[in-house]
Order: sequence, then structure tokens, then C-alpha cells
Amino acid sequence: MKKEILRFSGVKYTYHTVRGETVAVEDLSFSVRESEFVAIIGPSGCGKTTLLSLAAGLLVPSEGEVTSRGSFGYMLQKDHLFPWRTIEKNIRLPLEVKRQNTPEHRERAVNLAKKYGLGEFLQSYPSQLSGGMRQRAALIRTLATDPDILLLDEPFSALDYQTRLNVTEDVSEIIRSEGKTVLLITHDISEAISLADRVLVLSGRPARIAYEHELDFEGVTNPLKRREMNNFSGWFEILWKELNA
Amino acid sequence: MKNEKKNCSEEHLLFLKKRRRKLILIWSLRVGILALILGLWELSTSLGWADAFLVSSPSRIARTIGSLYTEGTLFYHIGTTLWETLVGFVIAVALGYGIALALWWSETVRKVLEPYIVVLNALPKIALGPLIIIWFGTGSPAILFMTVLVGLIVAIMHMLSAFIATDKNKLLLLKSMGAGKVQILTKLVIPSSLPSFISMLKVNVGMAWIGSIMGEYIVSRAGLGYLIVYGGQVFKLDLVMASTFLLCVLAAGMYFLVVLLEKVLVKNAES
Repeated sequence: MKKEILRFSGVKYTYHTVRGETVAVEDLSFSVRESEFVAIIGPSGCGKTTLLSLAAGLLVPSEGEVTSRGSFGYMLQKDHLFPWRTIEKNIRLPLEVKRQNTPEHRERAVNLAKKYGLGEFLQSYPSQLSGGMRQRAALIRTLATDPDILLLDEPFSALDYQTRLNVTEDVSEIIRSEGKTVLLITHDISEAISLADRVLVLSGRPARIAYEHELDFEGVTNPLKRREMNNFSGWFEILWKELNA
Repeated sequence: MKNEKKNCSEEHLLFLKKRRRKLILIWSLRVGILALILGLWELSTSLGWADAFLVSSPSRIARTIGSLYTEGTLFYHIGTTLWETLVGFVIAVALGYGIALALWWSETVRKVLEPYIVVLNALPKIALGPLIIIWFGTGSPAILFMTVLVGLIVAIMHMLSAFIATDKNKLLLLKSMGAGKVQILTKLVIPSSLPSFISMLKVNVGMAWIGSIMGEYIVSRAGLGYLIVYGGQVFKLDLVMASTFLLCVLAAGMYFLVVLLEKVLVKNAES
């Protein structure tokens, strides 16, 4: 069994506004092991994004504790590439922010982009790229600082269906071959099944872990192949029921 | 472009031709309207339909500008107003930008100062005329102060709303990378507000001219605003019209410079 890299123990988080307080997550406990791909699904508005912000340390829990060993890369619903920067400079952004903008780090990021088919677009501006390519650039930007844990916040939901299948395929391959640990948040059940090693199902607000499943696809990690396998629809049915319970 | 033309279809050629024709039409109408107005103006005064003493005429305006030139005061008056306008514009824009940054930086300061800014914005600045004369005398400093005053609040409000409108998700993205406030400012807030900065410049070109001419109305002894007031007082309407015409040309020129700046700066800002 691999080492734990991220752990939530008894985490509670409360939002305060003038009108009152909302408990977004409560008594939330789970852990993620190294190089594991964990998907979290939950009903909409149940505090999924809060959970990622807690993991990344952007929010401090009201109760309980979040512990992690390693650095984070955060990927959002939209690519959020900066339109005034070229793709190369967009990819370099986290290096600049983290003051790692050295020739070696830059070269590493550029090589990563070349390796995953963005080589010819390095000097292009985001507006010149297709939605799928932009999301791929966003992933390379996330990987530029070589983070240990990737936090993906519904990274495919803004894409159309065709592009989404392709980008999911892309991202899965890149992440697996770079051996990253992933925490994916999504409301798309089939996406979770096609990508993850383990799926956590959240309850409605305040969110806590309602169910947990280790997915067994006989070692197949390719999302499209998984979709064609026999037990795919079985898992879908189980998770569908649990989500609507 | 020319090489492309050889390989394109008949239909595309027709499209380009139609487009060119439309452009020519628009420009000839623009010039035509101006010529028509000037022609009718000139004709009606020379035929005695209208009193040239009251409405002036294009030829009299040209003669007035010519005589200002031969007297050697034309560029003195233009220069005075232009200098006041440009310096006031630069100060108002720079100071407004700086204050907007400070207000963006601290929410508390922003909340505290909000009512003051709202009141200052609503206040007609001309009401401060007497105070300005007493404080700054009757020279250029008074006019500069008026110009800055008119442009400053607009610049602050325009830039502040642009800074605050920065995409929340892009902010989240930068924070997740561990960016501090200075980095958020230099990497995101300032570059993403560039289009707003340009539109603020365009608005403030107008504001600067309002400020400088208003200032000259109140206190000056030189400048185009002074010529307009003086011309009105001694019933030299040729002088009033000539100065107004020069103002039109100068204001349009300044606006055009901002548009040029926009073309250089905002090449890739479309998202």
C-alpha cells in the first residue's frame, strides 16, 4: 500500500454572511494515497469547490485538520488562460509566481508542452486555440511547477461533449504517464467512473462522505476503453442511486 | 493581401469590391455633409440671408485664424490651452490610477472613502470657481487645478470598477499558485484592466478639455477658452467661431492619439 499524501480528518467549514452561516462541509474524513486518482462526486451545490479550496490550503477549516505532504496544482472549470499572454508565457505563469522562473524550469515546462502536442502553439495567443487545446494548455500550466497533487475542479464541464471525451482521454493519459496524484471533483458520474481509481460520494449539504468505492477495471485506465467495459454501466447504476438517495 | 487576391474566388472578389464601394460611399457622404454645411453657411452669409456679424462664416473664420497667425498670437493661445489640457490630463490620469489602486488594495479604505468620492463626483466643479481663483490666483495653476479636478474623480471611479471586476476565477487560480497581493496586481489586475484603461483615457480626453476651457472661462488671460470669452464680450463672433473650430481640431487630434495608443497596446487583449 502506498503512502498517504493528503488527509482530511473531521473537517468542518462554515461560511459566514450577514444573513447567517452555512455549514458547507462537516465531519469530512478521507485520505488520498500517492499516485492515486480519486474522484469525488456529489449533488450540485454541496460544497465540492469548498472541499478543493480546503485541500489547497486556500481556506482554513473551522474544525478538524487537513494535512498534506507535497505541492498542489489547481485546475478549474475553464482554462482561464490569460488572453494577453502567449501560450508559452501562460504556461510559465506559475513559475513566475513561485519565483522558479529559471532557465531549467522554463525548459522543463516547454518540453512538457512539446511532448503533449502544444509545441507549435507556444507563441500563439489563447484566442487562436480550440477549446480542447486551451484546456490542454491549462493542464500543462498546472504541471509546470511539477506539483505532487493535482486538484481538478470539474475541468471538462465547460467543453462540448465531443471535445470533452477527447480532452478527458488526453488529460488522463498525461496525468497517468506523469504519475501524479489526483483529486477530481465532478458531478458527471460517467466521467468519475471512466477516470478514477476510487470514487467518493458526497451527501447533500453539509457535505460528508456518504459512500466510497474502489473501482476495479482489471488495470484498464483508458477512459474510452473503460466506457466500453461491461461493469461500467453497473457502476453507473450504483453511483446514480447513491447520488439520488 | 495582394497575393491572396489572385487565388480567391469570383464571389470573394465581388465581396471585396462591394465592401470597397461601401467605404467610398461612407467617406464621400462624410466629406459631402461637411462641404454642404460650409457651403450653405458661406453662401447664406454672402447673399445676406444671415447676418455674418452674428453667425460668422467659414471664410471669416479662416481670415480670423490667418490674422491671429500674422499677429503671432495663434500658437501662443493654442500652446497655452494645449499645455494646460495635456498636463492636467496626465496628472488626472496618473493620480486617478494611483488612487484607484490604493482603493482596490484596501477594502476598508475603499468603504470609508466611498461617500466622499460619490459626493465629489456629483459636485459641479465650476462651483469651486471662486475658491480656485482665491487659492491659485488667475494664472495657469488655477486652470490646471480645474482640469485635474474634472478628470480625477472620473479616472478613479472608472479604474476602480475595472480593478474590482477582475475575474474571480482567475484570482482563485493565481491564489492557488501561491500568489501574493503584489503579484495578483502586476500579473492579473493591471493587465486585465488595460481595455478599461484605454476607455478611461478616451473619456478623460473630453474631461481634460472641459476642465481647461472651464478654467480659462473663469480666470485666464490667454488660451482658446480666453479667446472665446473675450470674443463674446466684445461681440467678435468670428473669434469665438475660429477658437471653437481650433478646439474641435485639437480635441479630435488628441482622441486620435489615444486610439493609436490603443492599437499598439491592446493587440491581444480579446479573450
